Amino acid sequence: MKNTFAFNWMPLLCGVFATGLAFGQGSSAGVEKFDAGKFPGFVVDEVVVPVPSEIFSVLDKLGSPNWKDELRKIKLPETSDRIELSLVFGDVVAEGFVAVQAQDKQTVEDIGRDVINLAASLGLTKAVRPHAQSILDAVKKNDWKGVRKELDQTQTTVRASMQEMRDDDLSQCVSLAGWLRGTASVTSVISKAFTDDRAELMNQPMLVEHFTKSIAGMSPSARKHPSVVAITKGLTKIHHDMDIKEGNISQDKVNSIKVTCEELLNMINKPEPKKGK
Amino acid sequence: MNKPSLTTSLRSRVLVLTATLAFILPLAQGTVDEAHDYAMEAATPFVEQGYTVREDYWNGEVVSGQKLAIKHQLFKGNEYAFWLGTANPDCELELAILDVKGQPVHMERKAAKQTVSVRVNPPKTGTYTVVFSVKSKNERGVTWALAYGYR
Repeated sequence: MKNTFAFNWMPLLCGVFATGLAFGQGSSAGVEKFDAGKFPGFVVDEVVVPVPSEIFSVLDKLGSPNWKDELRKIKLPETSDRIELSLVFGDVVAEGFVAVQAQDKQTVEDIGRDVINLAASLGLTKAVRPHAQSILDAVKKNDWKGVRKELDQTQTTVRASMQEMRDDDLSQCVSLAGWLRGTASVTSVISKAFTDDRAELMNQPMLVEHFTKSIAGMSPSARKHPSVVAITKGLTKIHHDMDIKEGNISQDKVNSIKVTCEELLNMINKPEPKKGK
Repeated sequence: MNKPSLTTSLRSRVLVLTATLAFILPLAQGTVDEAHDYAMEAATPFVEQGYTVREDYWNGEVVSGQKLAIKHQLFKGNEYAFWLGTANPDCELELAILDVKGQPVHMERKAAKQTVSVRVNPPKTGTYTVVFSVKSKNERGVTWALAYGYR
């Protein structure tokens, strides 16, 4: 029964994705209808981006990374620029996942407070405070699974609140920066103990295409923001590094992805002064 | 073990009805939030087995029997479970996970009232396709919600 359904679809999927990709760039989010003659359905053009802990858990199974080595101190920027704040928010939440992996209570508590401060700057205190408090409560009980769940909820709540306020661009920035931070830490771990199995985790071109498409769909002012412009260039380079036709992603490519992510994260945390100021 | 939260999740809302269909279809019985509640009901035993349920998920309304496909990134080394729920009673639910060549990779399909779940151990890290449908015996429009977890 189960396989009947699957097999009925199999010959049709190539056509689905070819069509989906051909019309995907720059189109609005939602559902793309494709050639019903080839595929009797819709491609749901909505991507759920994995949280960093999904990849971290695989790395833990492949060895014992020193997650404390991967922790970074994030200095919150003094800015009212909502794009910059949203990028830092995504970065901070992803850092929380690293801190949970390291089981570093102090860092998780610091991140809980950073989350509240950033939420206040973004006007999202009401939505975020319960989650931030839950993070602090869970870490006091050494409930690391609970902290992970709350970090996931924090990010999704913030993105939902932004979408409700029609700030989809900001929502994408949260997601983007979270992925960059997660990828930076994953590539750092892989670089320190390279194996093909670990490197395979970087086979994520679909996610990079999703982010590139998200940026293409942003408002002109967001697309021209210096941080977003730099991220767009960085994503192009990352996609090139991930785009392996055959074989495995090499150590050089993993290192290159790591450097690109770190450069972008440094920029996010220390944004360039705007021209004219 | 706590039941996964039903209230604070991001609604990765996907409105699958086209404008035309919105005119010709009666409102689907139940809501997409209720569909997610059913999906989370299916997730509960998996949570007890150590799965972490993602807060983000997909949902929407669609013509009964309409086939849908979602691309999703999976990582080799994790075990995944996908849960499809509907708020409409008397439905046949189908759910499959296919690799890049269109080969099914899912296993342990479990169906219950208004839900179906499958488990996946991805053989490679990469993009997979979740294909599914909800077919009602009585209604032209149906709700759906698709969630996933990992361990």
